[in-house]
Amino acid sequence: MTTVSTWRWPTPSGWLPLPLVGGVLVLICALWLTAPMVEVDFVRLIGSLGKMTAFAGQMFVAPDWNYVPQLLAKMLETIEMTILGTAIAIVLSLPMGILAARNATPHIVVYRVTRDALSLMRALPELVWALVFVSAVGLGPLPGVMALAFVTVGFMGKFFAESIEVVDQKAVEGVRAHGAGWLQVRLFAMLPQALPDFVGTVMYILDHNLRAAAILGLVGAGGIGYDLVMSMRLFQYDRLLLIALAIYLVVTLLDRASDRLRSRIIHGRQA
Amino acid sequence: MSSISVRGVVKRFPNGFEALKGIEAEIQPGSFTVVLGPSGAGKSTLLRLMNGLESPTRGEVRIGDEIVDTHKLRQIRSKVAMVFQQFNLVDRLSVVTNVLTGRLAQRSWVGSVFYLFRKEDMGIVQEALARVGLTDKAWNRADKLSGGQQQRVGIARALAQQPKAILADEPVASLDPVSSEEIMALLREICDRDGITVVVNLHQVELARRFADRIIGMNSGKIVFDGRPEQMTQSVLRTIYQREGIEDDNSLDMALAYA
Repeated sequence: MTTVSTWRWPTPSGWLPLPLVGGVLVLICALWLTAPMVEVDFVRLIGSLGKMTAFAGQMFVAPDWNYVPQLLAKMLETIEMTILGTAIAIVLSLPMGILAARNATPHIVVYRVTRDALSLMRALPELVWALVFVSAVGLGPLPGVMALAFVTVGFMGKFFAESIEVVDQKAVEGVRAHGAGWLQVRLFAMLPQALPDFVGTVMYILDHNLRAAAILGLVGAGGIGYDLVMSMRLFQYDRLLLIALAIYLVVTLLDRASDRLRSRIIHGRQA
Repeated sequence: MSSISVRGVVKRFPNGFEALKGIEAEIQPGSFTVVLGPSGAGKSTLLRLMNGLESPTRGEVRIGDEIVDTHKLRQIRSKVAMVFQQFNLVDRLSVVTNVLTGRLAQRSWVGSVFYLFRKEDMGIVQEALARVGLTDKAWNRADKLSGGQQQRVGIARALAQQPKAILADEPVASLDPVSSEEIMALLREICDRDGITVVVNLHQVELARRFADRIIGMNSGKIVFDGRPEQMTQSVLRTIYQREGIEDDNSLDMALAYA
């Protein structure tokens, strides 16, 4: 009795809104009923715990140190592909982002068309685009870079556009009122405000692209991926361990660097 | 130096609200005009029409001999600078870059793509910053400055444009009394020394009395007073600030008692 009168939600009636409660209940029921379709089966999951630990145990073997030089070369190639693909994508995404932002686009039709083009570009994963480009330009890192850049424009253009859409309109009006032209308003009032968001997006995408680049080798598009898959197929866990560690290390370092860069851009140089 | 004439201007917003109901005003070149009126009287809309940030539903606004219309906005705006209540600076850019945006109207987009300006632009900007007393803050980020300083950057940006007229939309509404005084004095000095026409929207009756050559009083979209500061008596103030449907307005009496 006392608990009922002490606790309440910040709604007029003190209770949770009915649509919210109903919605969550319906969602839980739907998930419960559909889980078997994707073979989510707790009995089976617990049953295979043994196999999982056995696999994990096999990973802990003495690393194959002779493999290190090749590993370094392949990791370097992977990182180069990542950076190059992302850099190309940034150059293409900036104009695409402006065209795809509701408050910056020259015309609503341009906005629609750009949005659709961007969603087409990111509709398929990097691996599928890599297959397409491998058939177009042959094996090697080049189709990998192309695939990365292509999908990245799809994501980055959309994220850039969304950062531009939330910029403060007051500054835009301030620059516009002083007679700045169409492009000048976008360059001097919108882009500086969207910059911290841009940097966040780029750092996230670099992280994502590194992991994507790490498997592109699977279809012959360069990078560490080919070695990764082969060592798995051939049960060369002494190599697999090193590859996994190398990828983990690079992703972690990238994450540290991105934190530094972000806080510097958001708070300015000295603070 | 440029006259501003407002002829038969009606402004109706898409939601049906009529902000201006037939405004006639002739603002002399090189004069200092203050527009007074309650919130929602249409003061901001009137100022924004003079800069082409809004376009009139009926009637016309002229700067000098030129009609403000959508086809030559850039040309009009290059002569008419605007100062805002919330400063409307680009927070993340340096003070210098913000003031340089006042030069954009004179520069083509080609250099702007690379954030390039001419050397003489920099000279103009430094002069403008010296006038508002912010030379030492030139390379700070705009959002690191206090409110009063940010508004001075706003005025420097207006000066950098070398305008014929400056429109200030409640420039001191977010500032403390001392900063307000500084900003008003600065605007007055710009008007006197450079002969730039200044139009200021204000809420402070006392500031209006001290700084204006001429006061225009507005209420619900109409001009209800137009004259010299000394002609603005208590009864005139009552007409300016009266509220529709309220006969015995205690708040009005109290507010004007010390005005």
